Amino acid sequence: MTKEFEHIGKPVVRQDAYEKVTGKAKFGDDYSFPGMLYGVMVRTEASHANIVNIGYADISSDEITICDHNDIQGSKKVGAIKKDQPIFCYDKIRNSSDVVAMLVGEDERKLRKLAGKVKVELEELPVLTDSEKALDKESPLIHPEQESNLIVHYPLRKGNIEKGFKTCDHIIDQRYTTPRVEHAYIEPEVVIALPLEGRKGVKVIGSIQNPYTCRRVVASVLDYPLTKVRIIQAEMGGSFGGKDDTINVLAARAAIAALKCGKPVKIKYSREDSIRESYKRHPYVMNYKVGFNNDGKLVAMKIDITADGGAYASLSPFVTWRTVVQATGPYELENVHTDVRAVYTNNPYTGAFRGFGSPQPIFAQESLMDEIAERVGKTPIEIRRINGFGEGSVTASGQTLGQHDVNLVTVMDEAVKHSCFDAKWQQNRLEKAPDFQIDENAKTNFILEHDNFYPPESMKRKGVGLATSFRGCSLGAEGIDAAAAYMSIQQDGSVYLLSGLAENGQGLRTTFSLIAAEVLGISPEHIHYLEQDTGIVPDSGPTVASRSTLMGGGATKNAAEVLKNRLEEILVSHWNTKGKGEILFAKDEVTWTEDESRKISFNELCNLAYSKGVSLAAIGWYKGPNVDWDEETGQGAAYFTYVYGCQVAEVEVDLSTGEVYVKRVIAVHDPGTVINLLGAQGQVYGGVTQGAGFALWEEVNSYNGKIKEDNYDQYLIPTSKDINNIEAHFVEGKDIYGAWGAKSLGEPTLELTAAAIANAVKNATGIRFFNLPLNLEEILLNRKLKPTDLKRGSTN
Amino acid sequence: MIPRLEIHVPEKMDEVLEILDSSKANCRIIGGGTDIVPGFHIESPRFAGFNKLVDINRIEELHEIRENDENIIIGAGATFSQIISDSIIAHKVPLLQKAAHGIGSKQIRNKATIAGNFVNNAPCADSVPALLVYDASLRIQCADSARVIKLEEFLEGPYETNLQPNEIVTQILIPNNSIGLAGDFYKLGRRRAVAVSRITLGLLYKIADNKFDEIRIASGAVTPIGQRFYEIENFAKGNEVSDELLRTIAIKAGKKVLDLTGLRWSTPHKLPVLQKALYNLLVKNCLK
Repeated sequence: MTKEFEHIGKPVVRQDAYEKVTGKAKFGDDYSFPGMLYGVMVRTEASHANIVNIGYADISSDEITICDHNDIQGSKKVGAIKKDQPIFCYDKIRNSSDVVAMLVGEDERKLRKLAGKVKVELEELPVLTDSEKALDKESPLIHPEQESNLIVHYPLRKGNIEKGFKTCDHIIDQRYTTPRVEHAYIEPEVVIALPLEGRKGVKVIGSIQNPYTCRRVVASVLDYPLTKVRIIQAEMGGSFGGKDDTINVLAARAAIAALKCGKPVKIKYSREDSIRESYKRHPYVMNYKVGFNNDGKLVAMKIDITADGGAYASLSPFVTWRTVVQATGPYELENVHTDVRAVYTNNPYTGAFRGFGSPQPIFAQESLMDEIAERVGKTPIEIRRINGFGEGSVTASGQTLGQHDVNLVTVMDEAVKHSCFDAKWQQNRLEKAPDFQIDENAKTNFILEHDNFYPPESMKRKGVGLATSFRGCSLGAEGIDAAAAYMSIQQDGSVYLLSGLAENGQGLRTTFSLIAAEVLGISPEHIHYLEQDTGIVPDSGPTVASRSTLMGGGATKNAAEVLKNRLEEILVSHWNTKGKGEILFAKDEVTWTEDESRKISFNELCNLAYSKGVSLAAIGWYKGPNVDWDEETGQGAAYFTYVYGCQVAEVEVDLSTGEVYVKRVIAVHDPGTVINLLGAQGQVYGGVTQGAGFALWEEVNSYNGKIKEDNYDQYLIPTSKDINNIEAHFVEGKDIYGAWGAKSLGEPTLELTAAAIANAVKNATGIRFFNLPLNLEEILLNRKLKPTDLKRGSTN
Repeated sequence: MIPRLEIHVPEKMDEVLEILDSSKANCRIIGGGTDIVPGFHIESPRFAGFNKLVDINRIEELHEIRENDENIIIGAGATFSQIISDSIIAHKVPLLQKAAHGIGSKQIRNKATIAGNFVNNAPCADSVPALLVYDASLRIQCADSARVIKLEEFLEGPYETNLQPNEIVTQILIPNNSIGLAGDFYKLGRRRAVAVSRITLGLLYKIADNKFDEIRIASGAVTPIGQRFYEIENFAKGNEVSDELLRTIAIKAGKKVLDLTGLRWSTPHKLPVLQKALYNLLVKNCLK
């Protein structure tokens, strides 16, 4: 029997809102300890060089402690998949932000000055910045101990690609590129390592997205057992996938220094440090060749993608794996031939970032779908209807979609309905834009001719565009997928809850509390969510892949049900209800359906359990079903379930200047069951805004391996004035997994926006753009304009 | 990093002048600090080599906005938020109000002062083209004298003015003969807020018998410093206002800027856009 939800799906204010808006919440830098020292990094000017010698002669060693690779007892290099990233560089510099040593002392200001006095003798090497040249024989090897600069290569083969291209009516062959993007979390990295007394090990507090991964890294560097490294997560000022590898390396550096000095050591990064040293979203170069018939049906797709991994592998192998699974989009195709490669360069390294290898191919493939529609005289809706996934569709990797509502067309219909897409799209298309782009080959030195001017009102053009996607939930065949939740009900009925997944701002404390409250039939206010500490709950894997609600929610529900069952058992004997009726938990009361007088408050029941010596503590567990993947052919059931989304963007393009204004975004997502409506809406507003940033502004450039955009005066993210209305709608498809079928939302909200905006810009201007971001120059010149040096200037 | 500094917070103008007089180049004036403080953080050489700051926020007369028979008088320490909400500015110096609106963010406008904007004299200073078309002058004081200078003479080069180390700008004077002209201000940034200007334009004009009786055009961010286009103004004056004339003005402005800057990395976008933006601004305002 199903009952109406008491808490699930309602808009609930997040649990930590009060502390955050009143400034009481403690972030990493709010922690301070007596005798605490600071760590400051020593870097070089090189982007690629062999280290000949590191000289500390000019540093007075009384007041400061120097830490470098000689202080490492365990692994000198770390990495989630390939152990290629040094804690302190000792053989080579592979990127301009590489750190050779850390100075530790009381006065951070003094340390910064001294850092420049470390003499690092280098033998400069040629710098590799072009990812497409990374695999050329003449290119320098970034990691000479590896055979080539190839980090990973994923092939996917389905059907017969040659035959497919031979039998189709049309072929489009196109190249797309996307930029390197910064996460732009508001809080730069902070960690504090505290040496524990005697042989107890070390404790690290900080802005750490994945405490268990961090623990593994620190323990391996110190050569400690996992139990002697305790990671405590401070409140997070944003992460978006960005506080993983880099912060783990910082935690290891701080731990080394804390143990060496016997004092707490804090590392806090400036914005410039943060942007320079932290990893980014992978720039992609994507070649798509697609064959299709006159009726719009896709026949064959050949995809070749190169992802710039930068100096270290980080999560490149997982990021690009998601790409290979989803590269053909939510469309059925008989013949697919995909190659996705991640390569090393001397550029800033790249790794996990909300979206994780999906926003790039979605931009390419959704641009392409609109082009295909145009070629065969269909609308964007028609072309997606013809090819889009439905119940029982087979993906490029040969997986049959089922066991959940395959809601691709449903979310698209909903988005079209809310936006009146068709009428607007047709109307904008009919109004031809004047010839507005700048001819750089004209011999006039950019001085206009009289006939280059048009009436001002004709230069503001409206456009509407859409994009759809399917997305595998959680980790898929990346690795083991299970999560834990610890729940302990106190004798007064109040409840401690903690999952092994981390609160990174996404709101899981509230989500999990609502799930627990729903099961126990109590008010969410009675649930107290504990601080994340690797010493309490089992390792639940990383907090990534939009898996918290699905996996942690499943574990929380399991823990609550285990304890609810124990409470029920007490009443079955206490009230003698065996075999008759049902015991109901709701509104902080427990009742028996057969006799209304049988009623006990939840508090009293907990007290009763306590008096009877019944344990009301449990670890809930949730393990995803098995998935499989064949590395050779790229075939298999990649993820155990999927979500679907469609976004419609309405823009206004100023043809005089190249400005694109986002007037409205309609976002329709099927995340499964919505747990907290307010939280879900928040995900949409944030994700769409980040997606719009990816579409229109954001780009970290590598100048011979160095970053110019190292603060927010140079690196532009959208402000509240740059994006007008965002409307969130949810279609709650059914699924057998997670808590009542609650799945994923965080990443789907971001991955679609750039593609929808690019299609809207095409609708407005009549011109297709292939290279993100669509900034002022891209719109007018079809290329980026960049200053020729690293100097910071106001004219940029 | 913010260096160790001696900070003076005088209540009276005399004290300010005294400190400036005694410390000369060792001292800088701080109003909102929205250039100085970020300048410290990026260790800009423009904000190095001094060890004293004199904070003028407590000098009441520097925040006054008033008018007399000849001028609108704006205290040098008036913040952009104050300028936006002031009724004299709104009625009589509307371009300045519009320019102020586009500067930085609310938080920056609450702190940043008008004199700070043009004393810093970044090429992209938004107040400059607006003040230039109003023919603004400045009142400058030092311990033993005072002088009045036209803004355009005061602005010498990018980040350079003729302000002496012992001097302070106390007032901005907008002459009454500039009041009552119609006009508009245009800004192009990479986004709609907290954006450094890529192009700014100030336009004042008077049309009689469909001829330009008066026209003043100034730009910012496209030339080394904000400046007026006198040759073009003189060319346009007395001419019949036509679409053709407005195109010619825009093209002439483009040529002038190209002469001044030569081809830069940004020229392929900025120069055509400047011409189109000026044309659009002229059409919207002047073509009936």
